[in-house]
Amino acid sequence: MTTTTALAQPASPLKRITNVAKLHFANPWTTLGLPWIILGVIFVGMLTVWWLIYSAIDESARESALEGTQFSGSSFFIYIYMMVVAIQAISITFPFALGYGVTRRDYYLGSALAFVALAVIYTAGLTIISVAETMTGGWGMGVTIFAPVYFGAGIAERVFVQFVLFLFFLFFGSAIAAVWVRWKATGVTMFFIVIAALLVGLIALATFTDSWGAIGTTFVTLGVAGVAAWSLVLTAISGVAGFTLLRRATPRNAA
Amino acid sequence: MTSTIEVTNLSKHFGKVNAVNDVSFTVAENKIYGLLGRNGAGKTTLMQLLTGQEFASSGTISLFGQAPVENAKVLQNTCFIKESQRYPEDFRPKDVFKTAPWFFANWDQEFADRLIADFRLPLDRRIKKLSRGQLSSIGVIVGLASRAPLTFFDEPYLGLDAVARQIFYDRLLEDYANHPRTVILSTHLIDEVSNLLEHVLVIDDGKLLINEDAETLRNRATNVVGMKTAVEAFTGNREVLHRDGIGGLSSVTVAGLSESERRDAHAAGLELSPVSLQQLIIQLTRTETKEFEASA
Amino acid sequence: MDDSRPIFAQVAENIENDIISGALPEEGQAPSINEFAAFYRINPATALKGVNVLVDAGILYKKRGIGMFVAAGAQEQLKGARRDSFSSEYVRPLLAEAEKLGIDSAQLTQMIAKEANNS
Repeated sequence: MTTTTALAQPASPLKRITNVAKLHFANPWTTLGLPWIILGVIFVGMLTVWWLIYSAIDESARESALEGTQFSGSSFFIYIYMMVVAIQAISITFPFALGYGVTRRDYYLGSALAFVALAVIYTAGLTIISVAETMTGGWGMGVTIFAPVYFGAGIAERVFVQFVLFLFFLFFGSAIAAVWVRWKATGVTMFFIVIAALLVGLIALATFTDSWGAIGTTFVTLGVAGVAAWSLVLTAISGVAGFTLLRRATPRNAA
Repeated sequence: MTSTIEVTNLSKHFGKVNAVNDVSFTVAENKIYGLLGRNGAGKTTLMQLLTGQEFASSGTISLFGQAPVENAKVLQNTCFIKESQRYPEDFRPKDVFKTAPWFFANWDQEFADRLIADFRLPLDRRIKKLSRGQLSSIGVIVGLASRAPLTFFDEPYLGLDAVARQIFYDRLLEDYANHPRTVILSTHLIDEVSNLLEHVLVIDDGKLLINEDAETLRNRATNVVGMKTAVEAFTGNREVLHRDGIGGLSSVTVAGLSESERRDAHAAGLELSPVSLQQLIIQLTRTETKEFEASA
Repeated sequence: MDDSRPIFAQVAENIENDIISGALPEEGQAPSINEFAAFYRINPATALKGVNVLVDAGILYKKRGIGMFVAAGAQEQLKGARRDSFSSEYVRPLLAEAEKLGIDSAQLTQMIAKEANNS
């Protein structure tokens, strides 16, 4: 007469984790669509401005004018945006996924997988554009938008630095989101107070021990890639913190 | 009979508040349960504990024979549709229905499509532009089409009108009949769901007040109305759940009557009328000063 | 489904009424439990309980794998049972009400005869 609803065959752990990862791309607009569009708009805008400057000044003044573009932080926007994406993704899909019977562990691992995938995608995209930028001689005007010096000199170094930075901002964002899920606004406020206190503490420490000079030397010795590599420690701390916090979190509706 | 859920001495405290207070019960496989009670009685906390979303202060929970917390093997057989369930803001309903099958092994797309048509849900509109009722219907559709062996509906129909709610009840019954599963439905619209339920759990102030077969509960009480003297003669030493009266008339609610007692009552010129599940639960939980939500 | 008796008893009585009226003919197939449940908007367990009352009384019988059927002679059996309770169900309440209003049995008989002629 009827078929009794059988218990589901346990899905493999990998399947469960990739399902959560896919959840973050179910509607790719926020994670993949919008950031590229905004980048594109910034890109076109900057090109226009530079073209105006380029045409307005004579040859001799160009070089010094373009000096400034070596440090344009326009592509930095994408990192901050990725942090916001991570915060949003976790805080909204966490209660949603748990209603679907997903464990916190699978949820966090799946989200981490999605974040690594995002880092790969954005690094690849930015690398392709920066190569194009170099090959076209700075879009024909010597402009630097996607290959600024602070991302390193060669392609390999640039890929590494960008990938590692994406990881940092995504995982730092997910740690913030975990704080939000656990303790809402109060928690996030406390979190930033603690971070600020830590920074002030470190600066004070460096100042009182008169070690700024040594720090400067260390950074120079490490080089861009070396400094970026050290950010992996912070990324790992953020990851472990996010995981630990989410493991004991309860989805609540309260804003 | 197999138990889907076994709960022993379960408590959950938030600071000094005992949201769930030393509760023990079992849930039999493939029955529809009503989890009833006032707002703030502890229904949602209890369901969150059962689905491993909340951590117990003390006591044990077993779902399909295992503890649910962080247990994928158990949890992938559950679906929990919450009151005002939130969805990712950039999602459209069609994104919800695209992702849900990844998590529910028994998902039935045809059934989902039929429900989408029944509720006239626009699939392409962004979640944030949907009305409260349309949001609720997404939850109801996911809850039904997931066919999870253990499905929780926590006040699933905020904003749904009477017609939509009737569609929900009809589809639930129909699909449950063809695909029996364990359903736990929390609601304050007790009268509407009364006939759908096979078993009733009433929770009040964190404690389990009633754990009874719905049929037994429905016959548990009868209103007896008539001349005060006749009513008093009839009730005698019987337990009276509720008493009311104007002038020489009296109305009392008494525990279930046998056929012969009914005849006696008729012979004594008394009128008997049923006490609905809702009225009964109001009377049983009225000891507190809070107003029962059902009156809202 | 709203009087004070158990729902399963009301379901059983509704099915009995359909058999007495001929809507459910003898040896004809009765609706399934799930159809009853959907029609009356009740839990299938309650519908099953109602149907089982009639199965136990020999009004309905089950054919394995096919469904439920109305037994031969069910209609007459039900009518007989209803005739037996007719007096207590209808006549006694009528007399009780008549007595309350001061209508004696002769007047009552007259009223019944008159109504019977009219219909």
